[in-house]
Amino acid sequence: MTKLPLGLSAAALVLGWALAALPAHATDAAAGSDVFKSECAECHSNREGRNKKGPSLFGIVGRKAATLPDYQYSDALRGRSDWVWTPEKLRSYLSQPANQANPGTKMKYDGLTDAKDLDDLISYLGTLH
Amino acid sequence: MSSFPHRWANLRSGIVTLYCSLAALLLFASTAAHAIPVYARQTGSACADCHAGAYGGGGNGPNLTPYGMRFKLNGYTDTDGNGGKIPLAAQLIETHTAPARGESTMNLTEADLYLAGRLTDQVGGYVKVEADHVGHNTYNTKLRNVDLRFVARELKLGGKDLTLGVSVNNSPSFDDPIAVLPAATNLGPPGGQGPTGTFLKQSSANAPAYRVIGATVYGLYDSDWYGEVGTYNSLPTSTQERLGYSISGDPGTLSDTGYFRFAYMKDLKRQFFSVGVVGLTTRRQLQRSGPADKLTDLGYDLTYQFLGNRENIVQLSYVNILEKRRYGSTPPDPGTPGFTALPRGALHDETLSVTYTFRQSYGLQLAHLESNGTRDAVRFGPYGNPDTTANLLSVFWAPFGKDDSVTAMANLKIAATWFRFTRFNGATNNIFGAAPGVSTTRPADLNAFLVSASLAF
Repeated sequence: MTKLPLGLSAAALVLGWALAALPAHATDAAAGSDVFKSECAECHSNREGRNKKGPSLFGIVGRKAATLPDYQYSDALRGRSDWVWTPEKLRSYLSQPANQANPGTKMKYDGLTDAKDLDDLISYLGTLH
Repeated sequence: MSSFPHRWANLRSGIVTLYCSLAALLLFASTAAHAIPVYARQTGSACADCHAGAYGGGGNGPNLTPYGMRFKLNGYTDTDGNGGKIPLAAQLIETHTAPARGESTMNLTEADLYLAGRLTDQVGGYVKVEADHVGHNTYNTKLRNVDLRFVARELKLGGKDLTLGVSVNNSPSFDDPIAVLPAATNLGPPGGQGPTGTFLKQSSANAPAYRVIGATVYGLYDSDWYGEVGTYNSLPTSTQERLGYSISGDPGTLSDTGYFRFAYMKDLKRQFFSVGVVGLTTRRQLQRSGPADKLTDLGYDLTYQFLGNRENIVQLSYVNILEKRRYGSTPPDPGTPGFTALPRGALHDETLSVTYTFRQSYGLQLAHLESNGTRDAVRFGPYGNPDTTANLLSVFWAPFGKDDSVTAMANLKIAATWFRFTRFNGATNNIFGAAPGVSTTRPADLNAFLVSASLAF
């Protein structure tokens, strides 16, 4: 068996580690903006202080659940005082029907099953601050 | 049959004026918006959330998005959770009208008052009072559409979502969620321009719109399946007059009236499509007494919307309604002894509409409208042929009504609409059967071009 030079082996190792560390696909906040418009914008505004049928999503990433002062949340969400809308929490919440993720919620949503769309959307939500 | 040209020749001048006026009036009606800022104030949503165009349609119809359909199905009761919203809105429409024949005019053609929105969690509605310019700085005030609803949501049937509702309304099919049926779109002629047009078509002569009252029960199952059944009765002529309508358009006494609507509608977020059927049957005594005509309308409709990220929206709709008529009487032909009207007939209305909306502010709508019917020399003068073909082209600009608009308190639309006829009374020339040597009228003489500015607040 032919041995690879040490330098080349090290480079391959670093490259392999770097590739493994990358997600399966890069997230794209611009594409996430389009996902937001088609999936979320009818019920949620991306503007600060503007609530629609659902609360404003401005600053949603990192916010504790049910904490906007001028929006009337459902009892079901107010009861989730331990929830913080981290990217992971959002991914879990939005990947399934809302009434399954949080029974009793006012939110009507069937869930976003396309993994790339979901990643892009969360990436976009992270820009709203 | 030969007697018709002579009789029509005598009436021709007045009829042309009448038809041109009707064309303008129907076009005014077709530019009226169904959407109103009160809904935006109630929900916190933008007009452009419920409509493809940011002024509540923008084209000649509400152009509802799937979200707008759900708002309607939910009885206009959705809210942002904050009360204290006044359920009133108003609209003013200034129109420059340039008919193919006659003088151009510029008037405040319409002033509207809307009482609409949520009353309770389960009760909401839409009521429009309209003042129409009728010449010489005079306005005729009339009660337009009424749609009062009770809705029960959050129901379950077989583990699936179910919404049930009751609508009390004054125009069959106006309350339809997909909103492409005739009463919901106001696409106007050609039915109302000629002697024909199906009963379901709002612009037909003696159509039921605004002159009846009825109730329907509807349901939406599993978000996709819509069903509705109901019945209607015509208002007394004295009531119609009090509501602003002349007796000449009375739909007559209606009995045994039934209405149904079934549709499959699929919201794919970036796209939407629907397939539906609609039917209406009634026994009508047009003169309020005497023999009754049996009218049976049966139609189907197909729609498709490409919504994408809302930058480029395309909406297609096709509506096909066939009406079977069994007449209660067969009047004789006064010009041809021994001939009588046919005891049965059929009318057929088709409408194809394409609307493209860019950034929900700039729009273009094209529509093709056809009415055909059974030849009947007695019922349809001058040629015994009721066929009419027309096209509509409309462009609009609606700068406000979106999420990022400077105000949610008011909205504006500038629109230009061109309506052209290519066939009228079954003819492409001399449509009123003028006698030889007398100037004739072509279908194009009924064309009209309108530019309107609509302001809602």
